Amino acid sequence: MATIAFSTPQRPTRIAFPFKVFLPLSLPSIVLLLFFAAPMGLMLGLSFQDQETGTFTLASYGRFFGDELVLAGLGRTVVMSGLVAISVTILAYPLAYYLARSTSRWRTLVFALAIAPELAGVVLRTYGWLVILEDRGFINSALIWTGVISEPLPLSKNLFGVVVGLTHVILPFGVLSLLTSLQGINPNLEKSAQILGASRLAVIRHIVLPLSVPGIVSSLLIAFTMAASAYATPALLGGAAFKVMATMVYEQVLFYIDWSFAAVMANVLLAMMLISAFVGSRLESRLQQKLHL
Amino acid sequence: MSRLLTILFRASLIAILAFITLPLLVVVAASFSPTSAVTFWPGDWTFQWYPALLESRWLDPFLLSAELAIIVSLASGLLGVLAAYSVAYQKCPGHAAIMSFLLSPMAVPQIVKGVAIVLFLSSAGLYKLLGTPGLVMAHIVLTMPYVMRMAATAMFNFDKRLDRAACILGAGPLQRIRYVLLPLIRSGLFSGMTFAFIISFNNIPLSVFLVRPGQTTLPIAVINHLEYSLDPVLAAVNVASLLFVLGTIILFEKIGGFSAHFHGGSK
Repeated sequence: MATIAFSTPQRPTRIAFPFKVFLPLSLPSIVLLLFFAAPMGLMLGLSFQDQETGTFTLASYGRFFGDELVLAGLGRTVVMSGLVAISVTILAYPLAYYLARSTSRWRTLVFALAIAPELAGVVLRTYGWLVILEDRGFINSALIWTGVISEPLPLSKNLFGVVVGLTHVILPFGVLSLLTSLQGINPNLEKSAQILGASRLAVIRHIVLPLSVPGIVSSLLIAFTMAASAYATPALLGGAAFKVMATMVYEQVLFYIDWSFAAVMANVLLAMMLISAFVGSRLESRLQQKLHL
Repeated sequence: MSRLLTILFRASLIAILAFITLPLLVVVAASFSPTSAVTFWPGDWTFQWYPALLESRWLDPFLLSAELAIIVSLASGLLGVLAAYSVAYQKCPGHAAIMSFLLSPMAVPQIVKGVAIVLFLSSAGLYKLLGTPGLVMAHIVLTMPYVMRMAATAMFNFDKRLDRAACILGAGPLQRIRYVLLPLIRSGLFSGMTFAFIISFNNIPLSVFLVRPGQTTLPIAVINHLEYSLDPVLAAVNVASLLFVLGTIILFEKIGGFSAHFHGGSK
């Protein structure tokens, strides 16, 4: 292989000075260093600093973990994000499986329907859910009109409303991550199992589900992290009674004007993401090991 | 048994698709509803809410959002191509590490980036940057990684033999970039810029920290209003802004043909 008879021309992309290679990189790097890296570093630094003396301290974090209201918000965030992760993955799975296997002409339409709401933005979708879930909204007025109930069901301004709204917002991302994983499974495995007499259910249970574990884990993880940091949907569908981390961070900045405590909250949120990413990757390798045994 | 499973699977698909489309249909219906209380399916249809969109309290935020989205998609298109050129095309030394640095903003939640940027502006005494300049910069941080990733993918897939051919035929470096590289990565670049446009136009979690009172973006004007009432005007605002986004995407597609990027990329 090494001795090819004809001579290949000199690689035109090779440039003598690496300076020229790095030059186009300078502008984007400066933008990110100035408006991303520096702010992030500053935020991390300030949260460990004593406001007056400037020495290292964990006092702000002590304040965070000593505040019952804040801890309750953290707990709500974890529960909400967990429920959203599970419901996104359950709803996304059949869609992704259909998109990965179908050859029908409906496939493109289904794909467009699954992804298109992304264009509409969070506000429009949350407004839609408010109209549907409100006390005098679509569902309640229909149920009262038909006489099923006499008092409206509490569908919004609580955990239920937020989970429904966030599931809707995050579903496309679950579909995409499961789709990648399901497309990677060789369809012949399913066919050969069926030829050997496995029922549809057995094929799903013993072949498709185990092989799609990485996709399931990544869907759970993406949905969890997106839900934990979502702002507008919990603010509108959760109302004043259902405060989560993101809405509390916003309050700290805009109402209490306590930037340093907001920074502490933001750092805890960031740590939560990193921990869940770590746990997710560990979980994935564990499960894969188990399945290969 | 197998037949029943197929029917159940189809039914669940339809139910999930209904769940996805229902809120959007409801908003469209609400924007044509004659009563200000959005309740059940409206009996009559009306366009009465749409003229209100021309009032300055909706028009001004719309203009700000549109201006931001255009600036942000152009700027992150330029910055993304420059970065991708070094990292993915020239494969500069340490390109893998530089790539992960450039993509790192994607790993940080928007609300965290928002707090960091506000804290930075306040401790650097740059309050003046609140409003449009701050919003532009923050949105670029948000969208540039997407544009760069898409442009980089297009450049990784780029057939370097074409570039060599141009070189043999005597084209200079700038000519090769202008006539060979850029046209061939165009669809990737335009899909990235379209993403940037949509992300910027619809953005809340980051913008909410940076808007100035009396000068907000459209999504924030809408949520501020939504906290008090479910006014059908809001439905009309939402439908109009969705149409605006769709129109822009079609325009981008006409200029850049980015759907080719997805057909080519999904092989």
